[in-house]
Amino acid sequence: MEPRIVQFFMKASSEIVLPKPSRFRLRPIRLAEFSFLIFLAVAMGLPLLFLLTGSFNLAAPGKPALYGFDNWSRAFTDAGTLNALGMSFLLSVVRLIPAIILSVIFAWLIARTDMPGGKFIESLCWIAYFVPDFPLVLAWILLLDPNFGFLNALAKNLPFVDGALFNPYSFWGIVWVHTSTGGIWFKVMLLVPVFRRLGATLEEAARVAGANAATMLWRITLPVLAPMILAVSVLSFIRGLQSFNTELLLGTPAGIYVYSTKIYDYLQHEPRAYGEATALGSVFLVVLGLLLFFYWKYLRGDKKFTVVSGQGYSTLKVKLGRWRYAALGGCLLYIAVMMLLPLTFLVIGSFMRRYGFFHIAAPFTLNHWRAMLSDPIFLVALKNSLIIASITAAGGILLYSALAYLLVSRRTICAPLLESLCWIPHVLPGILLSLGVLWLFLATPLRFIFYGSVWGIACALILADSPVTTQAFKAGLLQLGADLEESARVSGASWAYTYRRILLPLLAPIAAAVGLMNFGGALTNISTPVLLYSHQSRPLAILLMEYSFTGELERAAALGLLMTLIVGAMMLVGRKLGLKLAGSD
Amino acid sequence: MRFNSTWKINWLLPALVFVMVGITDVSAQTKASDKEWAAIVDAAKKEGKVVVAGSPDPVMRNDVIPKFTARYGIPVEFIAGRSSEITGRVKTERAAGIYSVDVFLAGPDTTAAVLYGEKLIDPLKPVLVMPEVADGAKWKHGKIWFADPEERFVVRPFSSVATMLFINADNVKPDEMRSAKDLLNPKWRGKISAEDPNAIGSGSNAAARFYHDLGEEFVRKLYVEQKTVRTRERRQMTDWLARGTQPICLNCREDDVRPLIKDGFKLVEIFELVDMPPSINGSPWLLSLANKAPNPKAAQLFANWILAKEGLEAYARGYGSATLRADIDESFLNPANLPKKNVKYFDDTDWKWVVSGRQEYREKVWQVLKTGK
Repeated sequence: MEPRIVQFFMKASSEIVLPKPSRFRLRPIRLAEFSFLIFLAVAMGLPLLFLLTGSFNLAAPGKPALYGFDNWSRAFTDAGTLNALGMSFLLSVVRLIPAIILSVIFAWLIARTDMPGGKFIESLCWIAYFVPDFPLVLAWILLLDPNFGFLNALAKNLPFVDGALFNPYSFWGIVWVHTSTGGIWFKVMLLVPVFRRLGATLEEAARVAGANAATMLWRITLPVLAPMILAVSVLSFIRGLQSFNTELLLGTPAGIYVYSTKIYDYLQHEPRAYGEATALGSVFLVVLGLLLFFYWKYLRGDKKFTVVSGQGYSTLKVKLGRWRYAALGGCLLYIAVMMLLPLTFLVIGSFMRRYGFFHIAAPFTLNHWRAMLSDPIFLVALKNSLIIASITAAGGILLYSALAYLLVSRRTICAPLLESLCWIPHVLPGILLSLGVLWLFLATPLRFIFYGSVWGIACALILADSPVTTQAFKAGLLQLGADLEESARVSGASWAYTYRRILLPLLAPIAAAVGLMNFGGALTNISTPVLLYSHQSRPLAILLMEYSFTGELERAAALGLLMTLIVGAMMLVGRKLGLKLAGSD
Repeated sequence: MRFNSTWKINWLLPALVFVMVGITDVSAQTKASDKEWAAIVDAAKKEGKVVVAGSPDPVMRNDVIPKFTARYGIPVEFIAGRSSEITGRVKTERAAGIYSVDVFLAGPDTTAAVLYGEKLIDPLKPVLVMPEVADGAKWKHGKIWFADPEERFVVRPFSSVATMLFINADNVKPDEMRSAKDLLNPKWRGKISAEDPNAIGSGSNAAARFYHDLGEEFVRKLYVEQKTVRTRERRQMTDWLARGTQPICLNCREDDVRPLIKDGFKLVEIFELVDMPPSINGSPWLLSLANKAPNPKAAQLFANWILAKEGLEAYARGYGSATLRADIDESFLNPANLPKKNVKYFDDTDWKWVVSGRQEYREKVWQVLKTGK
């Protein structure tokens, strides 16, 4: 057990004061529950309701509402829609399976084994996650293009290769590039803290019973960590269904269209066809409903996921023996191929007059960095982004750790409703979420605070972060035994004191992870602030969008790298802070 | 009552002159006096800022806004984004009673369908009073070109001859691309790139034009049989063109290609094909003024200034488009971009074509692409 927590219990055991019985003990919990319910219903439910109602409105803009099903039938009778939906499912499943397996192995090796350099590998995963994907996809094109790709040119020197070996403009090309841009990094970031929290007691018992490392992983570790692995799988699957940029760059030339492209197309109409886009977006709601049903069904019953209790806790790691360096080599090789290789091209690209054109005269320049740093908008946008990201990270931790606590406390009467509401932002395409939040802000008297300000953008991003943050805290809390809290309460500690001295230190690594993830996400998220920013509150992500939109790709690459550097610096600070709070630094 | 000749001279002639002057005044712009103009500038300065919505254009950010602010000391708040995003946002704001934008610089589809179609804009004609703007002699057509049917709301300040396609001369000889039908040569199968004609944008606009001029069969052959490579990313097309992977590009942009030409790439712009009339367009934007603008005088000042020599020339130089002003030295332009007298052009920004014709042909193109037959 953590040293500070042991000290607390030693002190508490000598000064046990039984609390006075009270009829109203549960009132604060109930109050919190209903407050959350109202908040989530307004913040998450209302935008969805606005969108769904709007999708049935057939009237021309500015005309009185006229309701019907035409938008829905038009959206779903389009011949390409079902094909695109099928392709999205196929791509999402094909990407998810290897990515989940690899990320579980990575997280296990980092957190539960004596593989050397685990923290270094974890840091590389963090950095990889925040590298902007658009220039990275272009880097893969430079590497894999059948006509001019660097790797294809190398492969042609092999005696048995005739023609292009790789082709990014294909189904498997898309899968490959996705594995590089978003495949395992996000999952490793969420899984490592819960793997770390896993006590070694069960594994030691298995070892005594003669199980080897693989058996322990399969029979002990995975079942105990099932809530987080399932949550990450659901998050990733839906994220995969909504994936869009990579498919747009690599799929369109090959005639591969995905479902999100169809939604995007409706949003490009003049005027925008929000009705049809919402109708198509509703499929994500149905998929989420099904996945959540099975998720809850799995977690229900007498299953226990507790790994941290007041009855002894060991964090001894699994010994890999001679395989430890092989494991490290495997991790490094994967990261080198999937991230460092394209990242190198991205860094070089930001210093090139034209990204990927090495044969022009004087191909290298500092102009893009110079122009970006001297752009008068840049400093304002940087300041806005740092404020927005900080509010988003802190707000998300405070709000969703409390919500997750309510969800796992088993004392709430409407947990499924609360949880369903907090999943909504994950199933709404970003631009539709932005529109819903815009309607919400404009409909409240607080619009003068929220609309067009950094506060409004931060609030919208906090809402958008609710599924990931809540699920991460929930999985962390499910690992904690109820006896920790009960002992503290029996010892006379208030809920706030227990939360601060017991739960928060144990949750600190998860808080640091999701806080950093939300910080980085707030820096790079484009679709959420796109309808909410004003001239004064323009963040870096919008500047990045403007550079990309106008074809200033090299400047976009420079800005993307700078944003990655900021996240990298915050990661170092955040990890220190997380470990310090956890009392293990 | 008897009308004698003296009466005619004394009353009828002056009345006739008055009516004639009145008619002339209706079509001409009213010029503000120096005093009136100074009052507009003062009022604009008091408002303190002007909010302009438009495409995220480096020319706007780097050249135009600094020039305007340097001239009048009024900051420009530039809301940049895709037209459809901006108008979606503006409409939502207005539904909540918020009016945040003063001036729109938008493409023809957005301007016609949303800004004008949904009455989000005010007449621009009465407020264009800056002497060098209101003076018809300063414009190539003898007056400001209002693009909307009422000729009051939307100003078109640009008109350039549009590039029909681009070729990489290392791979395609200009002689091999004389007519649109040359695109159907089996030699070019898989060698042509286009912005995805399935989506709203320049790809479907060009396809609609092909359908309009050359018919369904041509569109089917070009986009289906020739295996034209489609993309949604304009940079990708330009790179393919420069590398020669797809040495024929239907929808590359001049401002993307010209820096490559300067770098020595043998990229050729083709402005005319024998079987299609050349076209002109109003790119990069049409100007309109938001109704209930929060800073009406600053909006008026900006609208006048952007149509004056200083504003329009700054934009034209940065973007490489021909303006309709007569007093701008256009030697910086490719001569082929300047519309010639006595040539009949297809006007891709023509209001009627934008509002109905193009959409009708787009639908036909999509049908062809769906069936592939």
